[in-house]
Amino acid sequence: MSQAITAMNRRAYFFVGLFLILAVLMALAGIAFGSSWVSFDRIVTVIMGAGEKTERLIVLQLRMPRVVIAILAGGAMAVAGYLLQKVTRNNLASPGVLGVIDGAALGVVVFLALLSDESNSLVTSIAWQPVAAMLGAIIAIAAVFVLSGRQASSAIRLLLFGIAVAAVAKAAVMILMLVGPIYRTTQAARWIAGAVNEVNWGEIQVTALGLAPVLLLTLLVARRLPPTDLDEVSARSIGLNLPVFRVAIFALAAALTALAVSFVGGVGFIGLMAPHMARMIVGRPVIPGLIVSFLLGAIMLVGADFIVRVMFAPVEVPAGTVTAVIGTPYFLYLLMRKDRTNG
Amino acid sequence: MADRVSVENLTVAYGAHAAVDGVSLAVPKGQVTVLAGPNGCGKSTLLRAVRRLHAAQSGRVLLGETDIARLKEKELAREIGLLAQSPSAPEDMRVEELVRLGRYPHQSMMQPWSPEDADAVESAMFGTGVAELRDRRLGSLSGGQLQRVWIAMVLAQETDVICLDEPVNHLDMAHQIDCLDLVSRLNRERGRTVVLVLHDLNLAARYADQLVFLKEGRVVQSGMPEELMQEELIGDVFGIRCRVIEDPVHNRPMCIPMRNTSPRFAVQA
Amino acid sequence: MTRLPRGLLYCGLLVLLCIVGYASLTLGYKLYTPADIWGLLTGASGEAQIVLMQYRVPRVVIAPLVGAALGIAGVVVQTLSRNRIASPDTLGLNAGASFAVVVASVGFGVSSMLGLSAAAALGALLTALLVFAIAAGSGGLSPIRIVLIGVTIAGLFSALVEVVLTVRETMLDQLLFWLAGAVVDRPLSLVSTGGPVIIVGILIAFLLAPSLDILQTDDQTAKGLGVPIALVRVGAFASIALLTGASVAMAGPVGFVGLVVPHAARAMVGLKHVHQFIAAALFGATYLTSADVVARFVIYPLEAPVGAITAVVGGCVLVVLLRRRAA
Repeated sequence: MSQAITAMNRRAYFFVGLFLILAVLMALAGIAFGSSWVSFDRIVTVIMGAGEKTERLIVLQLRMPRVVIAILAGGAMAVAGYLLQKVTRNNLASPGVLGVIDGAALGVVVFLALLSDESNSLVTSIAWQPVAAMLGAIIAIAAVFVLSGRQASSAIRLLLFGIAVAAVAKAAVMILMLVGPIYRTTQAARWIAGAVNEVNWGEIQVTALGLAPVLLLTLLVARRLPPTDLDEVSARSIGLNLPVFRVAIFALAAALTALAVSFVGGVGFIGLMAPHMARMIVGRPVIPGLIVSFLLGAIMLVGADFIVRVMFAPVEVPAGTVTAVIGTPYFLYLLMRKDRTNG
Repeated sequence: MADRVSVENLTVAYGAHAAVDGVSLAVPKGQVTVLAGPNGCGKSTLLRAVRRLHAAQSGRVLLGETDIARLKEKELAREIGLLAQSPSAPEDMRVEELVRLGRYPHQSMMQPWSPEDADAVESAMFGTGVAELRDRRLGSLSGGQLQRVWIAMVLAQETDVICLDEPVNHLDMAHQIDCLDLVSRLNRERGRTVVLVLHDLNLAARYADQLVFLKEGRVVQSGMPEELMQEELIGDVFGIRCRVIEDPVHNRPMCIPMRNTSPRFAVQA
Repeated sequence: MTRLPRGLLYCGLLVLLCIVGYASLTLGYKLYTPADIWGLLTGASGEAQIVLMQYRVPRVVIAPLVGAALGIAGVVVQTLSRNRIASPDTLGLNAGASFAVVVASVGFGVSSMLGLSAAAALGALLTALLVFAIAAGSGGLSPIRIVLIGVTIAGLFSALVEVVLTVRETMLDQLLFWLAGAVVDRPLSLVSTGGPVIIVGILIAFLLAPSLDILQTDDQTAKGLGVPIALVRVGAFASIALLTGASVAMAGPVGFVGLVVPHAARAMVGLKHVHQFIAAALFGATYLTSADVVARFVIYPLEAPVGAITAVVGGCVLVVLLRRRAA
């Protein structure tokens, strides 16, 4: 390997280490802050297994789950965004345009509509809502792939089918939210906006179990990513079956997004911003890029939730607000630059 | 012979780099002038600047006696027509629709479509041999047919001067000759002044009345093909060693490239 | 595909429009009889006529007007961006207008229909400028890029709207229906402000028609033919902004009309813009009026917002277009 490439990789892994540390710090901050402050050493004590009962309650039941789910969801979204941007060779691609988020929203709204009685309260536990979201997301992805048929090999056309599916899903959400009474509407609207709510460790386990294999798969596949910059014929000649590969990448991105949104809702902006920033910092190396994306996404969502809790307490503003508000100017800045888009 | 177009000390720059650097050129009326040179020599930029598609940093272009900077868009479009290097149009557009677009510079709010317009379109389509394709969609035509349709559009503009920017690059051999023969005929039969940018030196030598060599944004030499097609000059401008012979069929000079003199492509031992 | 003579086509569409308009007057939660309608036309002032004037007549006027405006705007957008999947809503104009409405009502306490409508129009206009600036600044109107820019901006504004609505839950119900795009419960007075704006927008479009014909080719060819490209683009954007802004002001953000109608128009009359505009206006008017009728029955006895209908139809049409590689 030439000197330039080794230097590039070394630099990339340096950033991986840096962001790992930042992520841990951010997580600790997220656990520490809130209606009552828990100092860092107390947090460590609780994690070790000791500590007062109220402290343990706050840290283990309230704060940590929230932070952990934010890490998992933010990170998954970011990785999904990285994959999409790589495979479409376009910096503006993000999980939001695949129709996945709208499909998940439809799942949530259908769930709320079907399983609420006349007095506008839920007949089953709200814990089933994420399952509905996942189902909705998966159906949306499946619809996009089935409808696009052979055209699935073209990244742009796949995105366009995603837009169509998203539109239909959005319309259906709209109608259902009108047909139903207010409880469901605000509940659904909150989720759609992106809210890191109270989750329990059971749900986190489910998410982690789902995410782990997908992330592993992503890392394995990542080695093959660089040649996606090539055109189809050239890629084929070095042994990479591009259309099939692209579909696989899209499926991975969709699975990650579905897992992320099931608990958290629409935090699509992270999937746009994090990968882009990761690539700017780390450069071309793919595996460091993926890891830094994950870490950045985690930091962003934990940070956003943190801001929400600190600044807007006691109002529960969805974390999606913050990501959208920060994302807007950043995104505009992104668009204004004369970006080199390869696709 | 009166100059139809004269370029005086023209400079066109992209940022710090001058693509056309102080070029002076005379384009004689009723003749075919061909601009030739290696990649990046500025021939396309010069052509586009003549048609005022690029702003010039200094110098001017005269049409007869008039500085083209003084002409309005539509006026200029009635004097000089340009066939762009990679023109595009919707695939479902019909041939006649595209040719009709060439009449735009002659139309205004008051007079939408006149008999003169119709005549010009018909004449253009017959002159380029695409009249029987008039209802076909552009997407259904072959490369050669499509190029003829574009030429018909420029012809319908009824300009005195016609510029063509690398019109045969993407065509196969038969269609290249077809297309250039057509241009040559339009020059002879209809007296149009033609300025061509050509990539292929031999085609340039075959069709030019006046040949112009450009290198790094400057005119190296201009004159009759026989004057310019000299082995040493070609070596200087294009960086190749060659042998110049006479094309026995067309009595024009022809260049046979030999091993490259430029150290750029030398294989490392 | 053999084409009917255009005159015949336009007459046919006009007749269809009248039929659908009549249906819109009579059908709905309450059915009105032909006698009622006749009474309306002859100036009778019975109870039926009063209700008709208040509830039905506005929508029968607004729906075709908005349909025509969005249809023409769609044609201009698709030519301008050389992209047959583009439309005013995929440029984010609808979402921008919604956001303006939400900001006006939540931030500034505007509650009058006229006030909110003005906010909508302003939002559409500003978003058009924003998209224009971004596209111009980042060097290209390539089809992929513009679709992504537009869709992301639309997503951006939609997200912001949802966020504001969750913070101020009381506003949710009021605005939700309108935000989907609806012609119901709209005062006829809106037409007196929106109508003239639409007419100006249509006039500009017709003035630009010959230049737009040429802009279907590439920039160099257009310039070579003497088209003042920059000027034409500015004019086209103005037309789009006016047409969309007025439409959003009258009916809220109705999606996909500007996508579907131009394709139908092109299939009927070809590529010449003067004809595309007429066909788009007639077809758009008929399309949206029909959608409005359907909206009254799809979740009977409740009314669905017409925007939901057009989104579903539009989404399906987009899929069909993509599969047939017509776009």
